[in-house]
Amino acid sequence: MSRNAEAALLLLAAVIAAMGTALANFPRGVGVDAQVALTFIVFVAAFGAVHLSLRRWAPTANPYLFPIGALLVAVGLTEVYRLDADPLAALQRWWLLAGGLAAALVVFLLRDEGVTVLRRYRYLFLAASVALLLLPLLPETWPLHGAEVNGSRLWVRLELPLGDRSLSFQPGEIAKVLLTVFLASYLADRHTAMSAATRRIGRLQIPEPRHFGPIVIAAVASFGVLVYQRDLGASLLLFALFVGLVYMATGKAAYLVAGGGLAAAGGIIAFQVFDHVQRRVSSWLHPFDDFTGAGFQIAQSLFALGSGSLTGSGVALGRPDLIPAASTDFVFAAVAEEMGLAGSIAVIAAFALLIAAGMGIALRSRDLFRKFLAAGLTLVVGVQAILIIAGVIRLLPVTGITLPFMSYGGSSLLANMVILALLARISHGDRA
Amino acid sequence: MPALFLNLLKLIFIGLIYLFLWQVARAISAHIGPVPRGRGRKSPAELVVVRSESLSGKRIPVTSATVLGRSEDADVVIDDPYASDFHVRVGLNEGDLVAQDLGSTNGTYVNGRRVTVPTTLAKGDALQIGKTILEVR
Repeated sequence: MSRNAEAALLLLAAVIAAMGTALANFPRGVGVDAQVALTFIVFVAAFGAVHLSLRRWAPTANPYLFPIGALLVAVGLTEVYRLDADPLAALQRWWLLAGGLAAALVVFLLRDEGVTVLRRYRYLFLAASVALLLLPLLPETWPLHGAEVNGSRLWVRLELPLGDRSLSFQPGEIAKVLLTVFLASYLADRHTAMSAATRRIGRLQIPEPRHFGPIVIAAVASFGVLVYQRDLGASLLLFALFVGLVYMATGKAAYLVAGGGLAAAGGIIAFQVFDHVQRRVSSWLHPFDDFTGAGFQIAQSLFALGSGSLTGSGVALGRPDLIPAASTDFVFAAVAEEMGLAGSIAVIAAFALLIAAGMGIALRSRDLFRKFLAAGLTLVVGVQAILIIAGVIRLLPVTGITLPFMSYGGSSLLANMVILALLARISHGDRA
Repeated sequence: MPALFLNLLKLIFIGLIYLFLWQVARAISAHIGPVPRGRGRKSPAELVVVRSESLSGKRIPVTSATVLGRSEDADVVIDDPYASDFHVRVGLNEGDLVAQDLGSTNGTYVNGRRVTVPTTLAKGDALQIGKTILEVR
């Protein structure tokens, strides 16, 4: 019954996506053309594949995960299409199709044993995610090599033998999913030892000092990502995932305090040592001091937010094209300008619903591994959304990560669709 | 295209997004409400004596560790010649009722099977001490 509700909502999302494409067409004097039909068809195909695989192999899975994801993709794709119809929006549609098929494949592969089967291979996943995180450091002369984009080295480019074409992807997006699987599996075995309090400072219960080892390692690894790949966003995301999951597994606030302390210390050191961190912070505090330089992006974003008013200028009637990276990191600012306060609150509400659904799945799962995995995956999506939205509205320094489901970006969309598939599979059979 | 028409379309677009969110939010509240504890147990747990020479019908609410036995010093005195002085301890573990035999001479039985390790009891299980039978309610 609720699978029918899922189908209806997915169809509504496809209609919203098609309407968004049409709205972006009208001001250019183009009517309902093949692009509108293409958007609708891709939505129906991608989410149809997921829907059918859930019906077949996980019929009692939570039916609201993919509809929320579909709505976010619909709103995001509308802005990407409006900003760059060709090639970005066209490519993004292909990635959506790939993401839908990948999600369906995950549901199919886990049909018998569910996510439990992943638990056995945790060290394989750890090794794979470390390897993926290191991939962008490969030298430029190799056919498969790292590439630096906007000062951050988190891309991998594969030079195809056909002519001069190349395929780029961000391995970090996949690594974060694998790393979450590893952490969930590790904590499911260790959380009792890690939560046993042996001493206390004031009201804070302190576990055995050696259990803080993994936290320190995570801090060092996150710092390494910051230093070698110059990627503030991925670094923060990895650390928040680790500390958040350890806290949820043990219920000991001491880990949060230790993690927060390490993050603060790391942040201060990074600010002193690295000029790219310094630039981010100063353009956050004083965006108009260097308006034509470092502050330009955040200043344009603030103009976009301000001119959006209650319901926005209307799709393709504003000027979000003035914001650098409007179709990727700053897509939220584009939404705020053209769909207004109403549109941006809708986006935040959709993320809130997704986080609530994910945490609900974690609370209802039967065993610890599935509990931690569901919580960790939800944390990844939620922290990422909070970090970049807060950056766009100048609540935090800009961290330069994608807004899940909405930003243009193939690896990101693919990874997030797989995350939804894993959450859906965890929720299958857990009706409490 | 007239501005009024575009404005109307814009509002319809945002309206559709909110319609979608409203539908999801309404449906999802059932999925994110309070989680039932344990196996749906309604605490507090209670044992009711269903077969005994003198105690039939006696209700024993279990809120903390409770020792059942023939001794006057037991928390609940079981007047049964086959019961040991301190026969069995029942208590709550994360909302589940757990029974642990305290090395009794004639043993503790759950649903007719002798138990020697701490055993989780479900609603309707029969706990036998000597000739006395208690039911979990």
